[in-house]
Amino acid sequence: MSKVLKLVPESCTGCMRCEMACSYMQTGTYQPSKSVIRVSPFERHTSYSPYTCFQCQEAWCLAACPVEAISISPAGAKVVIRDQCVGCKLCTIACPYGTIFYDVDTHKAFKCNLCGGSPACAEACPTAAIQWVEEKVQDWQGDFAAERGVIHLVGVPSA
Amino acid sequence: MAMKRHVIVGGGTAGLNAITTIREYDRGESEVVLLSGEWPYARMVLPYYLGHEISESHVFTATATRLAKLGVKPHIGRRATALDTKNNKLTLDDGTILEYDDLLIATGSSATRPPIPGANGPRIYNQWAMDDTRGVLAEIKGGMDVVMVGAGFISFTILNSVLSHGVNLHVIEVMPQVLPRMIDREAAILVQDWLRGRGVHIHTSTTVKAIEDVDGRKRLLLAEGGDLMADLVIMGTGIRPNLGWLAGSGIEINQGVLVDDHLRSNVSNVYAAGDVAEGPELITGKREVHAIEPTAMAHGRVVGANMVGRDIAYRGSLLMNILDVQQLDIASFGNWSAADRETSVLLEPRGHIYRKLVWDGDRIVGAVIMGPARGIWTTNDVGMLKGLIYSGVHLGAWKGYLQEHMKDLKKPFVACHVIRDMLPVTVLDHPTVPARDVVAVEPAG
Repeated sequence: MSKVLKLVPESCTGCMRCEMACSYMQTGTYQPSKSVIRVSPFERHTSYSPYTCFQCQEAWCLAACPVEAISISPAGAKVVIRDQCVGCKLCTIACPYGTIFYDVDTHKAFKCNLCGGSPACAEACPTAAIQWVEEKVQDWQGDFAAERGVIHLVGVPSA
Repeated sequence: MAMKRHVIVGGGTAGLNAITTIREYDRGESEVVLLSGEWPYARMVLPYYLGHEISESHVFTATATRLAKLGVKPHIGRRATALDTKNNKLTLDDGTILEYDDLLIATGSSATRPPIPGANGPRIYNQWAMDDTRGVLAEIKGGMDVVMVGAGFISFTILNSVLSHGVNLHVIEVMPQVLPRMIDREAAILVQDWLRGRGVHIHTSTTVKAIEDVDGRKRLLLAEGGDLMADLVIMGTGIRPNLGWLAGSGIEINQGVLVDDHLRSNVSNVYAAGDVAEGPELITGKREVHAIEPTAMAHGRVVGANMVGRDIAYRGSLLMNILDVQQLDIASFGNWSAADRETSVLLEPRGHIYRKLVWDGDRIVGAVIMGPARGIWTTNDVGMLKGLIYSGVHLGAWKGYLQEHMKDLKKPFVACHVIRDMLPVTVLDHPTVPARDVVAVEPAG
């Protein structure tokens, strides 16, 4: 089994250190808008969860690319080869998770590349809400979000 | 035993995906013959060549070296003229006859021109094939008056590139709105406003009735009265599938070649993929011709797997398109036009922001999403929107939440377990292998 980014939403405090570390690793600047891990609030502003590419086995982005600008790294990440990417955005509508983005400044797609095998987000997280471990990739946040969603669905019984 | 011979007719997205998929499974243990009118290239990236963002070589998808590595016998520059499905023989335009065990029809589409006087004169180009791009590039110069006839998806894919040459651009559309087959009227009004704000002249509900040559320029006579002068005319007035060569073959054709969920035609060893195929749509299962890159790609992979005997049933194609129009992101999915369906709409005219969700009960079956690229939210959300539609997830009580919070896709997306549903999904029966890593290995012995 290979290593994956395990997300533990119950441990996330919403401190955004992962976004800072990610953008610094990816772009050399502290710029959360360029981060490919994104923290969102759930249950108003009392619960948070990080969210990033699952490195899914279908690799929708990779299959969709008309110029083979996405490959698989030794760490198992689907990575954008920048010189090859033309910025057509087909990958952004192919990915059903919303985890490949388009950079308006570089005109290229960008996504999580697992930092070459030592993810900066996991290293930066002070509460182990992001872990780099050997485990099977899964829907880390679904149950968490569903439970905390009840507050948004007032008057409606939860599913 | 003789090796099985697969004949691939057409070197576009569908054909090449079929070839790499065959090789991914069989590593060279079959004969693959590619028939292609031109060296294969990616139509999707022609606009970037037209805009000088990439070189011409970047557009080509299969060089001679690549085809050799894939163990493909190419017939480049030849076209199919007849298919004899009784005797498994394909005739080429130079008289060559190719025998096959199975065959893929992936001949794509050609651009059409309106039946008006002067439509085929000089300095009028389609924007569809490599030669069209070369033609426009040879002529286009800053300061020119350029008229694009037709404001559909294809025209709009090159809009940025054409403008990058510093021309004065007019866009003529016979329908009352731009992008009539991609977005609804409400969204189109915002697009038109956005483009007018950037100096593009938009003429909707306008029909060109003739094109004349006047002192080295073009005069477009309009049915509604008046005319437009141009130095260069670009036609984006439609495409049609290349099916003429199948006359007399016994292959069943409606809008395209009718195929089943394995993408087989009525003749079991003949498949069809991409623009020429009328195959199952994801949500309804009804057969449709999509003529979009994602469908061609998926079709090609499924056919390749089935040609090597993998028995892959195709889930169906989801119609989807995305455009960057002068940094306004526009995308639509599935049944976005939503005749007789419940819809939810978010409209922020000042920000050029528009979202529409089309419902079938508590499932989303179509969508339009639009907003400035700088605004981040549109590009961030297109993927989740695709996931919500592709998974067919029942949103239950979250439907009401989403209707109230049209920009907050992530909570319902995550809470309704779209991720759990999607993670096991693969188009083929295994994790995707990058095409660039696939090579044929000569069979042992």
